[in-house]
Amino acid sequence: MIGLSAGSTAMYQAMYSLGLAAETSFQEPIRLGEAPRGASVLVLGAGMAGLVAAYELRNAGYQVQVLEYNERAGGRNWTLRGGDRYTELGGETQECRFDPGLYINPGPWRLPYHHRGMLSYCKRLGVALEPFVQINHNAYLHNSNAFGGKPQRLRAVKADYHGHIAELLAKATQGHALDADVNAGDREVLLDSLRWWGALDKDYKFSKGAQSSERRGFDRHPGGGLSARPVPSEPVGVSDVLNSGLWAALPLGELYDMQTTMFQPVGGMGQVGQAFARELGPLIRYNAKVVEIHQDARGVSAIFEDRNAGTGRQTAQADWCICTIPLSILGQIPMNVGTPMTEAIAAVPYSTGLKVGLQFKRRFWEQDEEIYGGITYTSLPIGQISYPSSHFFAQGKGVLLGAYIWDMLNSESFSSMTPAQRVAKAVEYGGQIHPQYAREFDNGIAVAWHRVPFAMGCFGIWSDATRDRHYDNLCAFDGRIVLAGEHASYMPAWQEGAVTSALDAIGRLHQRALAAGAST
Amino acid sequence: MKQQRGFTAVAGCLWAAVAFSMIFGAALIEAPARAITILDAEPVSLADGREVYEHICQGCHMPDGGGAIGAGHYPALAKNRNLASRQFMALTLLMGRRNMPAFGAKHAIAQIGRPAVLTDVQIAAVINYVRMHFGNHYTDAITAAEVAALDPAAAPGVDSH
Repeated sequence: MIGLSAGSTAMYQAMYSLGLAAETSFQEPIRLGEAPRGASVLVLGAGMAGLVAAYELRNAGYQVQVLEYNERAGGRNWTLRGGDRYTELGGETQECRFDPGLYINPGPWRLPYHHRGMLSYCKRLGVALEPFVQINHNAYLHNSNAFGGKPQRLRAVKADYHGHIAELLAKATQGHALDADVNAGDREVLLDSLRWWGALDKDYKFSKGAQSSERRGFDRHPGGGLSARPVPSEPVGVSDVLNSGLWAALPLGELYDMQTTMFQPVGGMGQVGQAFARELGPLIRYNAKVVEIHQDARGVSAIFEDRNAGTGRQTAQADWCICTIPLSILGQIPMNVGTPMTEAIAAVPYSTGLKVGLQFKRRFWEQDEEIYGGITYTSLPIGQISYPSSHFFAQGKGVLLGAYIWDMLNSESFSSMTPAQRVAKAVEYGGQIHPQYAREFDNGIAVAWHRVPFAMGCFGIWSDATRDRHYDNLCAFDGRIVLAGEHASYMPAWQEGAVTSALDAIGRLHQRALAAGAST
Repeated sequence: MKQQRGFTAVAGCLWAAVAFSMIFGAALIEAPARAITILDAEPVSLADGREVYEHICQGCHMPDGGGAIGAGHYPALAKNRNLASRQFMALTLLMGRRNMPAFGAKHAIAQIGRPAVLTDVQIAAVINYVRMHFGNHYTDAITAAEVAALDPAAAPGVDSH
């Protein structure tokens, strides 16, 4: 077996290098200024970057045409609902059989409160937003190699981890081990803060009792009347907490990109793409597969095939081109740009991320386990289970995200399965966390991003070295062509990266168009 | 021959990577005293080229090696003349090519920070499998030692092309 081999001690720490906690560069209002008379722009791709570019350029007075491979706008901004059909590379078609109102977002699914660009367009286009529950203390952390594979409530893991750390620190403080760094006056404050932060008792111990149970939960919760007396729960020992590895998941909701409040569009992320599509109307030409891009001193032309008509090749032309086609695909399209951009396009591998949506006959996670939204993280190949953030307490069926696989080998393994096998695996693994799965499962749909015909990958993966060498070349104008998209941002995978890269690109395009207009 | 790499990793990082977005500079930290397994693996045979193909490669190149065509395409491995060069294949697997991620340990770590990759034995096995299936018949098999010898030094962040 690959994996699970003993003795592998390499540790890889994913570093949050450049850009992870970067503030969005979005600023309102967008004031591009007036387009030179008759200036035209060809936008390739109607994903978030292309839509934003087209919308703002049109508003500024440019003649805009958008070519889109799919028969819908949005690109990876996409929602699958009951009745939708999706055909992946390889030819397998899945029909989504979710009940009315239920959906899965195969791509982006949440909006941080500080992704102001995305939120701004939602507001401007009338896309209603609701809270996305990222952090749920009653969801699980699960490691099949810890606690006998029994899932642990996040609140218990958090309480125990913090409690034990606080107790150890208090012990060190009281034992004067920290005197070199903490003066006598500060020591008492530190001890007070540790007791409060870690829920320690009066002796600075993390012990079974009211304090710890107020964090980790009681065995019998306080109530009223004669049956009211609470029974505290037993904290897990420090060694078990540490060796469970579950503490690894605790900071997730504290990362800047995941901090509460997060939002989601009511009815699915795809509402954003659809709203742009309504706004842009006939400016978007659908089912257009771009097969060649050519520029010369006068303009840019894109040769494309109509996927439905089969009437041979057609050409779209404009003064300028904003190309948002994912690099996974763009690298295969002949385009006369220089070596720096060509090398940059070829330098970015794409994530193999994968999602599985599962419909169940009832919302057992709410009814049986009091889990309302949020995410369970697991060591199992499915990675996560996310519970719906809307329609709490609804009767009838419910859909949850049954797998969201980031680990590349596991997602590659899942991508190598048929869609039905992926769904079956997600049910099998998830059943180790929720035994109700076997009985309540209804149907599912699986989207493996390397098999998505219009993306061939989930998002572009940059390293520090590839950024240093290629990023500026990727984003710089080459003649009349400029690229935009999440791949041309320091916020990979986030839609905000696509939005801000598009705005940056059109700003530079406008300056060039003005300069060109003035010279002719 | 390289040590088999497993999915054992010391905590946070991996889940961080699994859970959120954006890990795109990854660094190799010195091995800690003890590793904790926090990621389970879909099982794949160690040295069986066919199993490696069916668990990983066919995700894009398809079960019949036929590749696929959408907005772009995945090259067919069936009757693909590029396969005449076993070295070309080895470099492609080790370093990745365009949107295809690297599978060689040094390159995968530098490129995408992934801790789980294929060994030289597995890379050789799957190359030999593909070059003798899907209508291909290249009898000059590659060895794991040859794969290892081909592996270019991967400075942190080596390029993938």
